[in-house]
Amino acid sequence: MDPQLVEVTQIFARLKAALLRNDFGTCNNLLSQLKVLLTKYPSLPPTFQQTPTAVEELQIARDIYEHAVLLSVKTEDQDAFERDFFQLKPFYTDTCGLIPPSPQECPILGLNLLRLLVQNRIAEFHTELELLPPNALENPCIKHAVELEQSFMEGAYNRVLSARKTVPHETYVHFMDLLAKTVRDEIAGCSEKAYDSLSVADAKKILMFSSDQELSTYIEEDHPEWEIKNGFVFFQKAKESQPCKEIPSLQLINQTLSYARELERIV
Amino acid sequence: MAVVSSASGLLAMLNEEHPVLKLHALQKLNSLVNLFWPEISTSVPTIESLYEDEGFDQRQLAALVVSKVFYYLGELNDSLSYALGAGAMFDVSEDSDYAHTLLAKAIDEYASLKSKSDKMGEEGAKIDPRLEAIVERMLDKCILDGKYQQAMGMAVECRRLDKLEEAITRSDNVHGAVSYCINLSHAYVYHREYRCEILRLLVKIYQGLPSPDYVNICQCLMFLNEPETVARIVERLLRSDSKDDALLAFQIAFDLVENEHQAFLLDVRNHLYLKPQEASLPDNGSVGMKSENGNADEADNAASGAQDVLMAESSHAPNGNLDPTEVAYNGELTKIKGIFSGETSIQLTLQFLYSHNRSDLLILKSIKQSVEMRNSVCHSATICANALMHAGTTVDTFLRENLDWLSRATNWAKFSATAGLGVIHRGHLKQGRALMAPYLPQTGAAGGGSPYSEGGALYALGLIHANHGEGIKQFLRDSLQNTGSEVIQHGACLGLGLAALGTADEEIYEEVKNILFNDGAVAGEAAGISMGLLMVGTASDKASEMLAYAHETQHEKIIRGLSLGIALTVYGREEEADTLIEQLTRDQDPILRYGGMYALAMAYRGTANNKAIHQLLHFAVSDVSDDVRRTAVLALGFVLYSEPEQTPRIVSLLSESYNPHVRYGAALAIGISCAGTGLSEAISLLEPLTSDVVDFVRQGALIAMAMVMIQTNESCDHRVGTFRRQLEKIIQDKHEDTMSKMGAILASGILDAGGRNVTISLLSKTRYNKITAVVGLAVFSQFWYWYPLLYFISLSFSPTAFIGLNHDLKVPRFEFVSNAKPSLFEYPRPTTPPSSTSTVKLPAAVLSTSAKAKARAKKEAEQKASADKPSSDSVSASSSSGKGPKATEKDSESVQGGNAIEKKIESEQSFELLTNPARVLPAQEKHIRFLEGSRYVPVKLAPSGFVLLRDLQPAEAEVIVLTDAPSNATSANSQQNSASSAMAVDEEPQPPQPFEFSA
Repeated sequence: MDPQLVEVTQIFARLKAALLRNDFGTCNNLLSQLKVLLTKYPSLPPTFQQTPTAVEELQIARDIYEHAVLLSVKTEDQDAFERDFFQLKPFYTDTCGLIPPSPQECPILGLNLLRLLVQNRIAEFHTELELLPPNALENPCIKHAVELEQSFMEGAYNRVLSARKTVPHETYVHFMDLLAKTVRDEIAGCSEKAYDSLSVADAKKILMFSSDQELSTYIEEDHPEWEIKNGFVFFQKAKESQPCKEIPSLQLINQTLSYARELERIV
Repeated sequence: MAVVSSASGLLAMLNEEHPVLKLHALQKLNSLVNLFWPEISTSVPTIESLYEDEGFDQRQLAALVVSKVFYYLGELNDSLSYALGAGAMFDVSEDSDYAHTLLAKAIDEYASLKSKSDKMGEEGAKIDPRLEAIVERMLDKCILDGKYQQAMGMAVECRRLDKLEEAITRSDNVHGAVSYCINLSHAYVYHREYRCEILRLLVKIYQGLPSPDYVNICQCLMFLNEPETVARIVERLLRSDSKDDALLAFQIAFDLVENEHQAFLLDVRNHLYLKPQEASLPDNGSVGMKSENGNADEADNAASGAQDVLMAESSHAPNGNLDPTEVAYNGELTKIKGIFSGETSIQLTLQFLYSHNRSDLLILKSIKQSVEMRNSVCHSATICANALMHAGTTVDTFLRENLDWLSRATNWAKFSATAGLGVIHRGHLKQGRALMAPYLPQTGAAGGGSPYSEGGALYALGLIHANHGEGIKQFLRDSLQNTGSEVIQHGACLGLGLAALGTADEEIYEEVKNILFNDGAVAGEAAGISMGLLMVGTASDKASEMLAYAHETQHEKIIRGLSLGIALTVYGREEEADTLIEQLTRDQDPILRYGGMYALAMAYRGTANNKAIHQLLHFAVSDVSDDVRRTAVLALGFVLYSEPEQTPRIVSLLSESYNPHVRYGAALAIGISCAGTGLSEAISLLEPLTSDVVDFVRQGALIAMAMVMIQTNESCDHRVGTFRRQLEKIIQDKHEDTMSKMGAILASGILDAGGRNVTISLLSKTRYNKITAVVGLAVFSQFWYWYPLLYFISLSFSPTAFIGLNHDLKVPRFEFVSNAKPSLFEYPRPTTPPSSTSTVKLPAAVLSTSAKAKARAKKEAEQKASADKPSSDSVSASSSSGKGPKATEKDSESVQGGNAIEKKIESEQSFELLTNPARVLPAQEKHIRFLEGSRYVPVKLAPSGFVLLRDLQPAEAEVIVLTDAPSNATSANSQQNSASSAMAVDEEPQPPQPFEFSA
């Protein structure tokens, strides 16, 4: 076996061990080393050169990135998740026939969907969904994400929150926590539109806070334009009904006249 | 083989912290950008930030990636600025669309910056040194790769004369490179001053060469207007011992004369007189004076000018105690002076046109018969057609055979008819005045002829001496001063303008101005034009004076004359004329705006300048006055004549305009710019216009068509035959409008102009704009308002001839080959009497006997054709031999068409031998080859025009072909008789006399 590949395997083994120990600092270090090492292999995407050891390399690279994704979930680093996921993706989409599909594929794809849902990037969510093969939709991990999105869109927020109990994979728990926050933001946005003001108690109930304190911190952090006064939360309506757009009459008249003139000139 | 389907992984990698990963991602992106630019474009800000990150060591790579993405997005400006940032990473030799596009963009950018900074002077736009570096890298690469033409083009475009010089001097064929560069500077450099700079550089390079190409140097010097340098070169060549050098000097002189720049030629000549040794300077001055006198005299006593000067020279020689070489030199000097004065070439042309005249009197006769006598317009059109057909041939048989008919011309028609004589005798410098004598105003005798014929005669003198009026100027001035009649003033003004074309003679100008200030409509119009003719291309401040008077006067005719005159003054001045053009085109008076259009046409003649074209097109569709719109379209023809292929495309939409004036303008624009080309697109565009619903559009289209088809025969383009038949039909149709009839008559005149030996060309063979021709056509296009101006078209006629000359400027016997089928370039067939053709057309019942007879006839025809074949081979000059097979072909055609034609093609030779002097059509030039082992070798390998021949066997006697035919005093007397009899309107009619040149 190629000595370099041996080195990679060794470091990777250490990474796996560290991950089990939840020693994230070491993990990040090792991962960074690994990624640099991986750039030296021409058989990896995007070049896909045919080398004798291509299959092993591809497999180990995929494994590494899968672990990187899992690591980022554990460290709750969404940016790193995104980065690693995109680097992992070519291994799923473009290596058909070169290496057997990974058992981790569906959970990770599901995780990504969940992430998009959490970040409220619905458009990308659907794009990803469309790119999945039809049989993947049957997979519980992905099905879970899809159902969540449906509930989310319908406004059945309680169903979203209760879905936490039915996660198909232990890594999903982290995102489910984040999802609660997204749901709250969504509710806050709606109430802002729907009400001029709400009593603190109602607001607390709607936004699913257990104490007034939590509510006021939330308002301070996320919605500084709201105001708490006399036991009521006032939603500032920044967007006063905008004056309907003026018709650019003069410009239109000028244009029409010049058209007429040009028409006259037409040879 | 797996292929990556998205760049998102790599883009994600860009956000990694480790620089090695970023670098890896960038490198991969750089190679994949052509596939994934849409994805990458969303991440451009990330890459840009990498580029801006000072700590990142591969910033250039980042810049290159960004540049490529912008390129694919179509943002070339951004792309270029990042490519500049990429520095050396941007590979100029890369063979990709990206590299090519960006290089082009960079060069464009650089060129426009350069020209901008040139315009604004030193402190102009600061040029990015990185941009400059890229362009220089590109230029160096081109030079290294041996792509010199590319390098030269770029250097010219970028105004890098240093690089241009490098490219030329390092190229393997310096002569070729320089001549390529000359073409380049004429065709693509729109800025006049810059063009001069280039030419100056070229002259410098030329002079540095071991064997300078004097012919080209002198052409350049002519553009630069440096007569003194030309004179010095010519002098050096003449003084050299070798006869070849003298031949070269003659050749230079002929080439310069062909460009028709009278003022320049006069300057060269004057410098030649002053140049010889300082010791004899005053003497030589007197020689110059003497010869001037000689010139003036020569017109009076109809003696040979060249002889006269020779006498002056030789009589002078002993006084100066000159050694034999000096005498020989003086002899040469006389010859070259004769050439520079234009007399030699005019005389030779005249002889050529006379001896090769192939005009078809039958056409004229049928026109004359079908035109109604009382219709004065058609009548004078016929006279004009005759004049054009015989322009420069001195053949006035038709006039003399039809004196009665001719005498119907009265008033202005008589003026025109007399002027027509000038066209026929164009270039007959020596006897011009004698010929016109019967019609000229008689000094002293008060009650001479009609003022119309007198005025016409003065105009005719102008036409005869156009652009070579040294000898006749004084006489015309006297006539102008001695008359009070507006008609005579009109003629004299035109004549003076023509004779003193472009000389900017102050005295004449003042005299003409006085006529103008009399404020007579008719004379004032001519004066306006005349002032323009005098000042052609001088861009003098006289224009503002003329403009002021144009505002003052009430007469539209005068305003029109003046506005044309003003337009003529800015001839060829390009940007320099912009202020004046602006002034004219913004005027309230439509006539002055109309002058503005002409000013645009004249200032940008033959430059195909985009700005001028835009302006003209704008006026063509936006002006309120039909006259202005028509002229604007017409002016396009002048701007575009150097690129005739462009014109049909540009005016094709205009030719479908609803406005007949615009359609008319479009027709003439094509006529002017495609004149003499026989361009197929032009003909296709004109064809529908010849059957337009509006009469004057038909007229314009017919004239334009004739201009395009001049000297094209039916075997080149079958539509020529159709057109001839169409003309015939229009002329004979009783119900046709007078306007289109007139157009048809003139068209037949133009089609067969100059005895079928001339074409209309606005460019000389060296691509110099022929001032006389351009001015002639410009004034010609005024015939819309004033029919006598029709005759100006004769100025644009130039003979299509190869005339070889030996050292004595005689025409020796010399043969060369035209490698093309003779039928392609032969003269059109002479028309046959109408009676015979009409019988052929009758449909006949086919009887069994007649079928048999036909079969027999066919057999006979075939035999005849085969019999003709050898005989035609044996005859050298094709034109006459062509007739034999033609006639039989016609017979057999009536029996069975296709078969006979095929046979003819088979039997025709693929080349013909031409004998000096020969008719060589412009289209034929590329087929001309000189024979190896011939006695004479041309100094310059030119397929047409005047070519000096080097005699390889000087010891043997030469066979001279053309002699000084129409020159000696023997014929003067008879000529006077015949001339006076030519149009016996005022005198006693005399019997027509046999009129022959002693050939």
